[in-house]
Amino acid sequence: MAGEARDIKVQIKGVEKIYEGRNGKTVALNGVDLDICENEFICVVGPSGCGKSTLLNIIAGLLEPSSGKVLVDGVEVKGTGVDRGVVFQQYALFPWLTVKKNVEFGLKLKKDVTPQQREETAMKYIKMVGLEKFVDSYPKELSGGMKQRVAIARAYAVNPSLLLMDEPFGALDAQTRTQLQTELLRTWEEEKKTCFFITHDVEEAILLASKVIIMSARPGRIREVLDIDIPYPRTQETKILPRFTELKNYIWNIVYREYLEVQQ
Amino acid sequence: MTKKKDNDIISRIPKWAWLLLSLLAAMLLWVVLSQNPVTARSFSPPWVTFAAIQTMISRGVLFQDIASSLISAGIGFALGFFIGVPVAFLMAWYRPVRYILEPWIQFIRNIPPLAYVPLVVISAGIGRRPQIIVICLATFLTICVTVFQGVINVDETLIKAARVLGANDTVLFVKVIFPATTPFIITAIRLGISAALTTLIAAESTGAIAGLGMRIKTLSTTFDTPPMLLYIIIVGVIGMIAEKVLKFFERRLTSWQEKREI
Repeated sequence: MAGEARDIKVQIKGVEKIYEGRNGKTVALNGVDLDICENEFICVVGPSGCGKSTLLNIIAGLLEPSSGKVLVDGVEVKGTGVDRGVVFQQYALFPWLTVKKNVEFGLKLKKDVTPQQREETAMKYIKMVGLEKFVDSYPKELSGGMKQRVAIARAYAVNPSLLLMDEPFGALDAQTRTQLQTELLRTWEEEKKTCFFITHDVEEAILLASKVIIMSARPGRIREVLDIDIPYPRTQETKILPRFTELKNYIWNIVYREYLEVQQ
Repeated sequence: MTKKKDNDIISRIPKWAWLLLSLLAAMLLWVVLSQNPVTARSFSPPWVTFAAIQTMISRGVLFQDIASSLISAGIGFALGFFIGVPVAFLMAWYRPVRYILEPWIQFIRNIPPLAYVPLVVISAGIGRRPQIIVICLATFLTICVTVFQGVINVDETLIKAARVLGANDTVLFVKVIFPATTPFIITAIRLGISAALTTLIAAESTGAIAGLGMRIKTLSTTFDTPPMLLYIIIVGVIGMIAEKVLKFFERRLTSWQEKREI
């Protein structure tokens, strides 16, 4: 896949983010430049505090960069937009709405969607995440994994061309995480979308990504960009491949060194 | 916190039986207090107290007093609520509003209403108007503070989630902030009702011509214990009925909430 000329989906140009707090300035992001191609699956790893979430929030339009800019499809990001879907680590489901109403939330705000289309689309994605038996359940009745499935269905329902995921499986147990990774891979292979996925789990990053971005902390910047040359379709068995272990050790070493630097 | 067992003796006894038991225990305590020489002068026995119902009816004041107090408390509460909720949202939404109003609220909140009732009466005259003003103020403060806490406690990620799904400010308010705040609004109503009832006595202390509070104060000057106690019980019962009605709506409106089982 590498080397192939593809359309650029996202351009991150010299993005800087400085937080001004009580203890002076904190540089969260220091001159980040990155191009993301159409249909790429990007995973971002790095020690905590390297600004990965900040970068995601800037692409989503939830945060403004202190300098630099982000272009999505050639248009500068100014605030949020339904072309960019976000899945949060804390699920962020509306607890007073049922599963179906949660998934329909974004569709209801689109003027050109008829109630029938809304219903069909919502059901399509609820089925995709395997929750058709729980359409009328409230979030409190669901497990963490099920909640995150609803959140993924909700993000997909508005049909964004770019999917931003902020450690979406970080709060789940190992087994559920494995299951959701497999589902996400399958979904992404079926319905190609550009994905920008943040994780602290190196294995997860290699399993999912076509390209892994390793970030370093204080100040947050891109340390290395690495093409993952393991072909899709991938499954949990991919983790047994020698190449997988090789990549894992390589990335882990860099991340660990970054971590040690942060400790000092 | 003790773990709740499903079939222990405590959960097998139905709720209404517990209520009955609670009532019987209260009656027993009441009888004991009425027979104990030290407390007997404050606590007339239940039978004497309930006989006072007839006395107060024949004096033609019982229903008039209840109606008068309910009207004052009801109007005062309603006004306090309909002013308090929007002000709380404004305070949470616009910082300048918060910075100006919050000190005022903190300042007035801790002054006992009894202290400023005469001042209100001087301007508002005697009758119902000062009562409504005082009750309205008390409920407004309670409701405003509680709802404000609710609005600023709305989960930040819910707001973010709504924004990325295409919500503008209006949608965000109507479909996210407001429903997320309903549990706090219910709590605010609960505390507001309580504030309205506890302020009632103070509100009717000066220049009222009828009312539960006014009557209690009048009866106290003649040490007429049984009807006084009866009136105090009526205030408590009104509070309990209001609570029951509120519980009913609460179950319908906030059943989506995750609650701890205690």
